[in-house]
Amino acid sequence: MMLNKKVNALVIAGSMLAGLAFSSVASAHPRWILPSHFTISKEGGDWLTFDVTASHGTFVMDKPAGSETAEIIMPDGHKERPDFVLRGKRRSVFDFYFAEEGTYKVQVNGTPRYVTNFKVGKRDTNKRMRVNKAERAAKLPEGARDVMTVAGFTRAETYITSGKPSEKAFELEGTYLELKPITHPADIVATEPVRFQLFFNGKAQADVKVEITRDGTVYRNHQEQIDVVSDKEGYIEFTPEVAGRYILKASHKGKLADNPLADVMRANVHLTFEAVLP
Amino acid sequence: MKIKKVSYLLFGLCIALPSWAKEIPATAEMNIEFVVPDIQASIYARPYIAVWIEDKQRKPVRTIQLWVGQDEWLKDLRSWWRKVGRDDRAVVDAVTSATRPAGKYRFSWDGLDQQGKRVEQGEYTFYVEAVREHGGRNYLRQKIQLAEKDFELVLEPTEETGQITLNYQVK
Repeated sequence: MMLNKKVNALVIAGSMLAGLAFSSVASAHPRWILPSHFTISKEGGDWLTFDVTASHGTFVMDKPAGSETAEIIMPDGHKERPDFVLRGKRRSVFDFYFAEEGTYKVQVNGTPRYVTNFKVGKRDTNKRMRVNKAERAAKLPEGARDVMTVAGFTRAETYITSGKPSEKAFELEGTYLELKPITHPADIVATEPVRFQLFFNGKAQADVKVEITRDGTVYRNHQEQIDVVSDKEGYIEFTPEVAGRYILKASHKGKLADNPLADVMRANVHLTFEAVLP
Repeated sequence: MKIKKVSYLLFGLCIALPSWAKEIPATAEMNIEFVVPDIQASIYARPYIAVWIEDKQRKPVRTIQLWVGQDEWLKDLRSWWRKVGRDDRAVVDAVTSATRPAGKYRFSWDGLDQQGKRVEQGEYTFYVEAVREHGGRNYLRQKIQLAEKDFELVLEPTEETGQITLNYQVK
């Protein structure tokens, strides 16, 4: 009896540890992209360099993140890939030559990750497995209940404007969580209000939680973030009081109706922008 | 009843007729005296300076002077670039002249907008933005009333600009 209890305790401890290890992977460091400049005034364009990393600090390089999926949406809407990509220990870096006039969207999006949560056993142990909804029937253990598959997807993006701003690069794909600038990112000025609109799977989405944090969190005692929630038409409005670089993190958990791969989606948008001097 | 109808008619005409916007007199001219300050610094680069006019609706009317070097750094004139420069490369090329060393300069504005049309009478804002590499940025604004009355205004020096005098004369 005593031995059984000990073994049971060990099994519980083991699964708890596994659960903890899993959750630290699942609540990973947020991926974002930081450009060297947001504006180009040189005639004929110029080179810019981009850092891509996964980090809670703004703008601190913590964990490596790849740029293999980096894309640049050109002012006319077509997509290009960067030429020079370096994958380092804390970040990846790529350069791109912005030759045309207009506004570009630079993004490193990755692909959706699927995690199936379920309960099993007499003690309703919570477990997770990296399978999607279509695969789970074959992989889940007998007696698994309260099964829910969550798809995770994070967009890391920023806008660059060379010369006269344009808006073709704002066009949405209609998938997951997306942000549409109402205030043009090239027009964001400290002390002036900024307006954006959030969309989930192509439709304006209310109740999206958004936090906006300015550069330099390591050197102050508080995040001093701005917290807003999108209204019933998906709009958010906030005012960056100080000039500088900011990261906007929007997150939304939404039920999926027709998706064969997941029940619920946890989607994020991480947008880097600058508020220029007034 | 007849009087009421007539007054309605007159009222309607007043609304219907366009407001007659009066241009500033053809002889009106604004003379500007501009001091680029003498700054002692280990690394001194001549400042990039933009001087321009905006109307009451904050719409740029004319860039009077643009003293700049390489176009790579035009964006450092943050406000002028955003409001004027970035939209029209041709205008930028037309108004660009070289950076100036420290000293006193005189130039004037003929009262015409960027398209060569004389501006309407009313309230305008005179803007100066000066940016210096390894130095600071100063952004000056001065409301002015352009009509049929002469005026003289003095803008006090800042770190990157010396005294600036505006002299509007209707001869």
